[in-house]
Amino acid sequence: MAEYWGVTVADIFNSMPERFRPEGARDVAAVFGYDIKDEGKWQLTVKNNSMALEKTDDLSCCVATMAADGETFVGVNVGKVDATNAFMSGKFRIEGDMVAFGKTGRLFRKFVLAGKGMTTREYLADMFATIVPRFKAEEAEGLDASFAFALGGADGGQWSVFIKDKACTVTTTIEGKPTVTLEFNDARDYVDFILGKIDAQSILAAGKAAAKGDINMMASKWPLLFEKYKDPLGGNVKEQELLTLKKTISINQRFATGPVMGKFLRGLKDKKIYANKCPQCGRLQLPPREVCAECRVRAADFVEVGPKGEVRYMDVVYYAMPDPLTGVARETPYGSINIRLDGCKGNETLPHFIRKDQIEKIQMGWNEMQGTRVRPVWEENRSGDIWDIKYFEIDE
Amino acid sequence: MDKRLAVCAVAQIKNHPNYHYLRFQNMLLECFEPILEQTKATFDMETGIRTIITCSDDVFDARTISDNGITDVVGAHFRGEEKIAQESINGLGYAMACILSGHDDVILFMGHCKESQGESRRMVSNLAYDPFYCRPLGMDYHNVAALQARTYMEKSQVTDEQMAKIVVRSRKNGAKNPYGRENKIVDEDEVLNSPLYSDPLRELHLYPVTDWAFGMLLCSEVRAEEFTTNPVWITGYGSCMDRYFIGDRDLASNFSLKNAAQRAYAMAGIKYPREEIQIFELGDQAAYQLPLWAEGVGIADEGQGGKWLDEGGMETFNVNLSGGQLNGNPLLLGGAARVIECYYQLSHQAGERQVKNVKRAVAQAATGGAGQHQAVIVMEAQGG
Repeated sequence: MAEYWGVTVADIFNSMPERFRPEGARDVAAVFGYDIKDEGKWQLTVKNNSMALEKTDDLSCCVATMAADGETFVGVNVGKVDATNAFMSGKFRIEGDMVAFGKTGRLFRKFVLAGKGMTTREYLADMFATIVPRFKAEEAEGLDASFAFALGGADGGQWSVFIKDKACTVTTTIEGKPTVTLEFNDARDYVDFILGKIDAQSILAAGKAAAKGDINMMASKWPLLFEKYKDPLGGNVKEQELLTLKKTISINQRFATGPVMGKFLRGLKDKKIYANKCPQCGRLQLPPREVCAECRVRAADFVEVGPKGEVRYMDVVYYAMPDPLTGVARETPYGSINIRLDGCKGNETLPHFIRKDQIEKIQMGWNEMQGTRVRPVWEENRSGDIWDIKYFEIDE
Repeated sequence: MDKRLAVCAVAQIKNHPNYHYLRFQNMLLECFEPILEQTKATFDMETGIRTIITCSDDVFDARTISDNGITDVVGAHFRGEEKIAQESINGLGYAMACILSGHDDVILFMGHCKESQGESRRMVSNLAYDPFYCRPLGMDYHNVAALQARTYMEKSQVTDEQMAKIVVRSRKNGAKNPYGRENKIVDEDEVLNSPLYSDPLRELHLYPVTDWAFGMLLCSEVRAEEFTTNPVWITGYGSCMDRYFIGDRDLASNFSLKNAAQRAYAMAGIKYPREEIQIFELGDQAAYQLPLWAEGVGIADEGQGGKWLDEGGMETFNVNLSGGQLNGNPLLLGGAARVIECYYQLSHQAGERQVKNVKRAVAQAATGGAGQHQAVIVMEAQGG
């Protein structure tokens, strides 16, 4: 049997049962024929969300039959031959009910050459080409909305998905005012996101993507409107059913500050920052702890330090670690700094945040090098916790 | 090579329902300093403390790797530090392995648990179970203990009235222990009428929520005299883990405790525990466990726990003169508390509770659902 691009006609037919999508066959009950020149004839029966394929000599019972040569048939299936051009130039033809044959387009996942990956461009083409077949009209009752996709990078492009009167159409432009727009800096991230390789939260938190408009529509309605995209490359392996439990483990706790941390937190209410001092080595600790861990003696002397100081270390945090007390995600990026307050030496530093708009201006200090001078910005109503200092800002 | 290790000093704070004004670091510091004071031990790298063993629980502390939070107040900076997350009695087994193997010769052993921090200890012990099956069923140490209590009471003819007597006795003994949790002295009717938790266990049948911390200095036999004139020796240790799933076990069988006790007795050269041991400190997170574990360590006959109680077994064998865990020690520190009572008795520092002519004592502790894990320690007095 002849091979075209490393694929035979039989490869296409043999993989049909694995590529079959029952969800695309819900309203199909018909027999289709394939008449491939010099290769043979096949009869595909679709009924009750299932399919049967057999090689035959007689296609007379088929509602529609496709006739083509082997090269065209393989070419269209592997994406090497443009189907519309081939049809217009007569390289393949449909005999019988052409509208009925049109439904075969959503019966199968894309054929993918074994061992060959798909490029971002191929994935995007397949993802948007399958949107209409994956559309669930019954979920769109009374809905008039448009979803716009602006995907950047060399392989990117623009798409719009319109839903109106329980019908779905896709265009390769963004027009008018979309209900919701999803923007990705790099189309590859969008592909990875759809394939489940990265999660939305981390992409959004990293600033690599943004959602504009009615975000809730995208988050809650989109998954209902469309069947989940299936990776054609995953099509040859039967998916495992993975059972997982999602559970939040939560036990309410009440922590005592103890006298040492208590003294420190109480000081913040009065805009005072206390370190404690080791009676043996003179080292300061911020925030204060019960003992000097190096001398193993109580460090009960408190010394007021700061409130101004110099930045010793800083890093810029891009991951929006939520505040564990409130669950609110932080705005990213933010500058996490360790400040050597006036009166402290060496590494006796206090950690906090820098004013958001000043990240770029901060100079770290080390050894003889002085860092940027900063001062605390105090909360007006202080309750004795770390957020009594809102953040530090440059002392100008 | 040494065959035993010395307990040179112990320190503890009073068992308390809620140290609301202290962090657990403060609690430990109150134990750390007296140990150094009593022993004059140092952190010299040649002759001082180079290894610290700590016992704590991540969930009660609400932080993972909970020993990280206490390294300063146990002197562990720049030292070897190992954490026991299981029953504290295993810290002694660990120390024994360290010393008898020659790994180190002086060890500071510290433990803490602040049960009052968490809203519910039942939710804590619920996390001991697998997330797929047992945890959703709501298994925790209390209701699993209730299953064991029911089956054991059937087997050994232990009655509700006898359980009430155990509780009443525990509180009376606890009142004589200066470090014991201060509890209301109750009578048997109060126990029998206290709220039912999981049948047959009532509120007063279960150890109360308690905060506590302790410290001990342990060393090899040859170095004991550097730190104390009155050491107490640990001469035997055995532990055994029973099966995890309740359905794999005979809950009234004492299989793992017997195994652990036999190993500890063999190591200490004990053939007749009833004659050779004068003090028994047994784990009793719930009242029914006291006669059950008494059977396990060999001072009550198998299946005769009820009879043993009636015949005064608890007094005959000097069981839980400290008040036991039932009077109050945190969940995972019961074993250390048992060992500390034995130390006081064997070094003749037990005050009002002192038993005369004590040569040998046994501390036993259990943890895990229905006493899944068992450990036994044999201790001996100087010259014993």
